[in-house]
Amino acid sequence: MEKKYCAYICTGCGIGEAVDIAALSGVVSGEMKMECKTHAVLCGEVGKGFIQADIDAGVNTVVIGACSPRVMQDVFDFGADKITIRANLREQVAWSRPEDAKPDYTQELASDYMRMACTQAKKTELPEAYQLESVNKRVLVMGGGIAGLTAAREAAKAGYQVTLVEKAEALGGKALGWRKQFPSKAPWTDLEECSIDEMVKAVTSEGNVTVKTATEVARVAGAPGNFEVTFKAAGTKSEWDAPAKVGADEQDKITKGEMPDPNVGLKIYTEKNADAEKFGSVVLATGWTPADVSEYTHLSPASQNVVTNAQFEKLAKAGKVPAKVAFIQSPGGSENDRDFPYCNSVTSMVALKQAQYVRADNAEGKAYILYQHMRTPGQMELFYKSAQNNDGIFLTKATVTGVEEQGDGSLVVTAKDTLLNEDLTLAVDMVVLAAGLVPTTKDQPTVNLAYRQGPGFLDLDLFDGYADSHFICFPYETRRTGVYTCGGVRKAMTMEETVDDATGAALKAIQCIESADRGVSVHPRSGDNSFPEFFFQRCTQCKRCTEECPFGALDDDEKGTPLPNPTRCRRCGTCMGACPERIINFKNYNIDMIGSMIKAIDVPDDDEDKLRFAVLVCENDAYPAIDMAAMRRKGISNLVRFVPVRCLGSVNMVWIKDALSSGLDGVMLLGCRYGDDYQCHFVKGSEIANKRMDNIGETLKSLGLEPERVKVNQVAITDFDKVPQLVQDFVDEIVALGPNPFKGF
Amino acid sequence: MSVSMRVEPDLDFIKYLKSAGGDSVKKCYQCATCSVVCPLSADGKPFPRKEMIWAQWGLKDRLIADPDVLLCHQCGDCTANCPRGAKPGDVLGAIRAYAYTCYGFPQGLAKMCSSGKGLPMMILIPVVLIGVLFALANGGMHLPSVEEFKEVGFGHFFGHWDFFWLTKNVFFIDLIFVPAFLFAAFASFKGAKAMWDKMSESLGGNREFRPSVVQFVVEFLAPAVVETLQHKRFNQCGTNQNRVKGHLPLVLAFLALLFVTGYSFLSKDVVSLFVGEELRAYLHGPIPMANPVKLLANIGAIALIIGVGILWANRSQAEEEQGTTATFYDWFLIGEIMAVGITGLGAELIRLLGIPSLAYFLYFLHLVSIFMLFLYMPYTKFAHLVYRTVAMAFERYRQSAFVSPAVGGK
Repeated sequence: MEKKYCAYICTGCGIGEAVDIAALSGVVSGEMKMECKTHAVLCGEVGKGFIQADIDAGVNTVVIGACSPRVMQDVFDFGADKITIRANLREQVAWSRPEDAKPDYTQELASDYMRMACTQAKKTELPEAYQLESVNKRVLVMGGGIAGLTAAREAAKAGYQVTLVEKAEALGGKALGWRKQFPSKAPWTDLEECSIDEMVKAVTSEGNVTVKTATEVARVAGAPGNFEVTFKAAGTKSEWDAPAKVGADEQDKITKGEMPDPNVGLKIYTEKNADAEKFGSVVLATGWTPADVSEYTHLSPASQNVVTNAQFEKLAKAGKVPAKVAFIQSPGGSENDRDFPYCNSVTSMVALKQAQYVRADNAEGKAYILYQHMRTPGQMELFYKSAQNNDGIFLTKATVTGVEEQGDGSLVVTAKDTLLNEDLTLAVDMVVLAAGLVPTTKDQPTVNLAYRQGPGFLDLDLFDGYADSHFICFPYETRRTGVYTCGGVRKAMTMEETVDDATGAALKAIQCIESADRGVSVHPRSGDNSFPEFFFQRCTQCKRCTEECPFGALDDDEKGTPLPNPTRCRRCGTCMGACPERIINFKNYNIDMIGSMIKAIDVPDDDEDKLRFAVLVCENDAYPAIDMAAMRRKGISNLVRFVPVRCLGSVNMVWIKDALSSGLDGVMLLGCRYGDDYQCHFVKGSEIANKRMDNIGETLKSLGLEPERVKVNQVAITDFDKVPQLVQDFVDEIVALGPNPFKGF
Repeated sequence: MSVSMRVEPDLDFIKYLKSAGGDSVKKCYQCATCSVVCPLSADGKPFPRKEMIWAQWGLKDRLIADPDVLLCHQCGDCTANCPRGAKPGDVLGAIRAYAYTCYGFPQGLAKMCSSGKGLPMMILIPVVLIGVLFALANGGMHLPSVEEFKEVGFGHFFGHWDFFWLTKNVFFIDLIFVPAFLFAAFASFKGAKAMWDKMSESLGGNREFRPSVVQFVVEFLAPAVVETLQHKRFNQCGTNQNRVKGHLPLVLAFLALLFVTGYSFLSKDVVSLFVGEELRAYLHGPIPMANPVKLLANIGAIALIIGVGILWANRSQAEEEQGTTATFYDWFLIGEIMAVGITGLGAELIRLLGIPSLAYFLYFLHLVSIFMLFLYMPYTKFAHLVYRTVAMAFERYRQSAFVSPAVGGK
């Protein structure tokens, strides 16, 4: 595209008062050699028409110096074939002036933002969406329990072809073994007959659903819109089973004969199976298994009459349950008040349900529920109330200290710290332990991906084996684009929750297929049609991109050259940040573009007071936090220049070097929190950036620069009140160090 | 507490509570709002919160040995403030009803008085007894003439004989009511003793010193009676504050009528034996209206009806507005006292109007209702007269030096 530029500076919202507009437009038209116009209200009808007139006359790349790029996006949208670059003169210049701001400092700040915007306009290109040769729109649902049945039905009802795979002989999953189920409608007080048979019938009679029982998924290869799935008979081995990840160290050992090759007899992960079935996206609904509670020996788990809630449900389904039963919700003991692992709120409600079996089966039935936490969210509070109102159901918070088997097989339960303010001794016929619901993803890859980064989800140890999804920011996403989890693999949940969850997952699966079809990204950069392009001639097969991609988008060939899967990509740019050869770039976001923008910052080399700092800001949380600080008129140091980046993971070391070698006195990175409560929209970006900056410290030292000149900070979107001080502290620290010795070279 | 409590909930007890006004007992979730608003609740003794969970768990032995249950005046603050509608006040009422039945002697009679099912029998016993005696004594349904009735009133209800020292009427009245009274007194004593023992037992520990009878009366019982008469605790009540307006006239009316009965007995049956003919004629027969004692009697009767009427209205209102459950336990006593008042005053009015047949009928009913009041006192809500007073005495005992050192100075 032949670019025809024009820059516009808005003088409204306080910009006109904060800076000398004539001088500023002089910088654009002079230094940046770009025509520059000013207007009092660019976002108004007249202002927009003012720009539109130029576009009609042939301008196709506009630079707008006005408000933050986060606002007025619809106003300054001139069509998909036009480029719009925004300079944030309102929030980050006019509205964040410190009280004692000197006019020349403010003017220089505004000038730098216009220089950076003009540079960006020159360096960016219009992206073109990546198109698969053909997009398959079928949905694969793994698991035929409540979650899988619901997801299959919802996707089918939305008009998509669905294949439902179930390992067992029959559909239905765990619900097949239930005697009754929780109330699902007003008045939410009474147990209901199980509805699983109807759910199965609804799916099997749905024309769009193909059911495969006694079947497992051997491997899922490919990418969204083009997954290639190999099935196998349940319980068998197949040469198409997904291979385990073998890293460089393991490969070394295998070669030396120090460890066996885990993938003997398996096809390598990149090999294509001609018989594989094609799918557009995958819903993983493989559920849970009852937890093992044998470790709690003080509860005599080996006794014949000490059972888990899962076993008790079976007894209740088969026939009559004993008359005196104690339900133990928490292991108790001496250490803590935690519930059994993997409980969530489900086991509380299961106990309330099963206590009613005791009452229903025995005229003199007595059910004791000893809990540390009774969790009955939402309408289930009414269910709890109705159970509590039952004459023979006795509830108390208690720390269970022991269960002892008597000679006749009956049991004595002892408990302390009870609501009765006394230690209790209960003689019962049976004890039921509230074993949790362990996700199937805990010990098995389950989803069986034929990906370079391995067959399962990553870092599950951070989440107790649950398929990570980041509940708050993006509830259904996994780190494998096109694979959406629901039900027990995500959290111990009730049937009602599962149905909601599975419905959501089905819609996400559909959304992913449609996004792949249009060649755009899914969440969080939904609709982004850019994608990373590789200049393979210069690739050194260092494998950093393939290792670091948070979404496993990159496979590789035997030599280690990346094999991109653009429909798996979320466009975060972590690969671009990783690449030492700088051969990975987006059309509208690349090494050269950001590097040039940093270099466009004017660095006065003769003024000891006018130090210059670049702050690379994650545009998801940190950048809005800075805008919010400005909206509250919190002054921010006018020595810093904020540069938005897609994710800190996309920050390439060369930008830091560019900044320091062009005389900037310090560089700070502001990104999201990482770790098990991470807030990074791309899961690993900020963590990876932090590691890279640890490494750059050494490089800086060898250059004779203080490592303190580069710093990474974690900021939440709600930290707008702290950001200005965070920036100021960094500035103060570097001011104390003195100017960059490379200044002026 | 280090001793572990072996718990065996009594399902029948829970069922009873639910049928006797405590239908909400299981709703309590131990938030302790009741203990915060209750004037009786003390530090470390969250009343009635702990009683609520005991009741939920069917621990009846603890509840009937708990003086606090009896100290509660059902002011209604806990019920009004309960966020879960567990109505602790009503539950405590049901527990008290259970306790009266439980301590009642003999058990058969106590059980009969514990529910509406026994009511026909409760009425039948005095109707038959008094009816048979009336028939026997009178030689069969003798009704006085208007003139005779005007002169002697109900003095010849059970007939007349010429034995100077004891009239036939008094003989029969005494024959009926003295044993009934003595029986009730004995039964009350038995019940109260059983309760005191249970409560003492629940305090635990060995007590080396026991109060003498004199100490008991002076230090514990007498102050409790005085406090009762002053209605001090009632005055602390919030929600049901206006019950004082009903209960106080009622209590004073009872005292007044007690005095009148005593006066009547002394003047007619004792003093009249030793005075001249003329005065005796005056003393015999109905007390004249001008007599200040008669005035007191009439005021007492009216106060009784008004007092119980206020309680009646309060209870109806509570049932309508607060959802308080209607129970036999509560309504029996209200109905009973109302019956005593109405039949008594009615008999007097009809007597003054000079209609012997109707007057006799009302008088008969009056005797029946009074008999019921006496005989069933230890088993019905009226038993609070005894048990609550004893519990208040026990509370003083519990706080006294006889007990406190043994339970660690509390």
